[in-house]
Amino acid sequence: MVAVDMPPQTRRRAARSPQTMAWLLSAPALALMLLILLVPMLSALVLSFTDYSLGATELNWVGLDNYEKLFTRSSYEKMLWATLTYVLVVVPMSVGLGLGAALLINSLGRGREIYKTIYFLPVMATLLAMAIVWELMLHPTIGMVNRTLEMGCGTWIESLWPWLADGCANGMPIWLGDKDYALWVVCFIGIWQGFGFNMVLYLAGLTGIPRDLYNAAEMDGARSAWERFRLVTWPALGPTTVFVVTITCIRAFQVFDTVEALFPRGGGPSKSAYMMMFAIYEKGIKQNLIGVGAAITMLFLLFVMIITVIQRRLTERKVHYS
Amino acid sequence: MAEVKITDLRKSFGDTQILKGIELKVADGEFVSLVGPSGCGKSTLLRIIAGLEQESAGSISIGTEPVSGIRAADRNLSMVFQSYALYPHLTVAENIAVPLRMRQMTRWQRLPLAGGLMPGAKRREQEIAAAVAQAAETLEIGALLDRKPGELSGGQRQRVALGRALVRAPAAFLLDEPLSNLDAKLRVHTRTEIAELHRELGATFIYVTHDQVEAMTMSDRIAVMMGGEILQCAPPQKVYADPDDLRVAEFIGSPKINVLPAEADAMGRLSVLGRDLPIAVRPGRQTLQIGLRPETLHLARGDAKIVGRVVHLEHLGSELFAQVAVEGLQGRLVLRAAPAQAAALQIGSEAGLDFDPASALVFDAAGMRVREILTAPAKSLAQAV
Repeated sequence: MVAVDMPPQTRRRAARSPQTMAWLLSAPALALMLLILLVPMLSALVLSFTDYSLGATELNWVGLDNYEKLFTRSSYEKMLWATLTYVLVVVPMSVGLGLGAALLINSLGRGREIYKTIYFLPVMATLLAMAIVWELMLHPTIGMVNRTLEMGCGTWIESLWPWLADGCANGMPIWLGDKDYALWVVCFIGIWQGFGFNMVLYLAGLTGIPRDLYNAAEMDGARSAWERFRLVTWPALGPTTVFVVTITCIRAFQVFDTVEALFPRGGGPSKSAYMMMFAIYEKGIKQNLIGVGAAITMLFLLFVMIITVIQRRLTERKVHYS
Repeated sequence: MAEVKITDLRKSFGDTQILKGIELKVADGEFVSLVGPSGCGKSTLLRIIAGLEQESAGSISIGTEPVSGIRAADRNLSMVFQSYALYPHLTVAENIAVPLRMRQMTRWQRLPLAGGLMPGAKRREQEIAAAVAQAAETLEIGALLDRKPGELSGGQRQRVALGRALVRAPAAFLLDEPLSNLDAKLRVHTRTEIAELHRELGATFIYVTHDQVEAMTMSDRIAVMMGGEILQCAPPQKVYADPDDLRVAEFIGSPKINVLPAEADAMGRLSVLGRDLPIAVRPGRQTLQIGLRPETLHLARGDAKIVGRVVHLEHLGSELFAQVAVEGLQGRLVLRAAPAQAAALQIGSEAGLDFDPASALVFDAAGMRVREILTAPAKSLAQAV
């Protein structure tokens, strides 16, 4: 339907179909995406089926061997267990605490900035530096934690708290050296470090809720704080929550620096805190077993992809963006 | 349904007094508009009546009960907000049902899933659904019940907000500028609908607006507020024709009332721009102001009281407004004329204006209405005519 009196040059350009034009225009972005995202991912996928190691002159196709190891060897079983425990503990706790802290700070008239800063400090601090502080605090004999606990020995607290009584009798736990505690300490530090970030995101979400909605809820007979939360706050925070949970999940799967800093021998006592990211680093880089490292990476990507898909589904169905 | 009585209500934020002793009695079933320029305290007054804001002093009673210290949820009032304040995650039907669910169902009955198993929950749900359907029918939004507010137009949202207010029978309805987010055409239409709704329900309405046309067209009485005070509360026609205060006269009526400086001599006889008028106030020399509505001014047939130059014309079809600049006057005078007179009014031409002295509203220098108007002694009357 080109106008007849167009100059010939314009007519030739217009003759190129809009579809071709669209492909041409998006070609640079597509090329970059292929080069930066898809090619490395595909090469990792290919490598995960080989026994390649950096500097080796040849590589052999080993099929699913690397994957078989992942699901049969006990150290990888521990890795999966530790990673999943970490994610399942840290995500709900740091999201819940972040929301709680945000609600509390939001209800404050004065002193908001101080609390915001305090809770946000661990996020800003480098975990490697913080790990030294934690190591000191958790030192079995001179650490602040055990010293404080020992102060409870011989008092009435001991009779109420069997765990403490046990510690007083048989020695306080060696936090970082005991396989029963190491993973939980890592989880605790993960929560401590992560919830300030979630709090800031929730605070931003809270400022976006129109005040009129709370007034309307009050007029409609929502008397308690819980009813207001159910009727107004929680639904309005839906988009924030989806984002916060996804980000926290991915960050939790990626935990590495805590393990690396706290356990110089790698992976914690009897590999009880052997996280996925750490395993990729240890196998793929330290031991130069690129094939195995690539296989763990593929598993890691699978987890992240599952989370992303769930997030998309939730966003489409349940969460309301107004 | 109940009357609302406000006695000596005061509100201040820090040192700033927002409300300075408001007295207002809204009768059962009455439609009262609070109208005034922005910042006059009308919304604050409404929010204090609602219980969303705390008064600094004074009292409010709804029905026979004083409600000071009673929280908004327990005052049995419904409110429509300027922003509509619909819950974005709930459908229209759920939005309208919220006030009933919150008030008529126990916490356990309201639980998702398990709530349905609670004794009496089923029956309650059915009653509420019936009430919602009826409210939707009244407002003709039955077809929208399954939609979310985000999928509705401004006018539809406004109806849903109204539906949420009238789904139960509160003591009074409070409306905070509900039409200000609608386009002009829809506003005129909805105005009529709200007024009809009020007649149908026979409920007490307190309506806040900055638009004097809305107030004039819908209300039984208008309370004109300025600077934290109610200047006058009276039926629309009285507020227009017989204002207590120059500020009321200036706020109500479009185009604005013309204000002319006037002088009273020792005998109390008035003169405007050097022309004597056949009216007088109490004896005593003073400066006064007279207000003339555009429709009381007309083109002079013979001797004109005021002479000016036409500077602007507004043809509205059924009528014609002419702005006339008069020497010695700061503002322009606005004159309403019939379209037939258009020939006599040309931009740039001279126009002689006249008015019936009896229709002039006289105010003192401070703007208070001077109601005691006498016919001037015969001598000056002869002079004026």
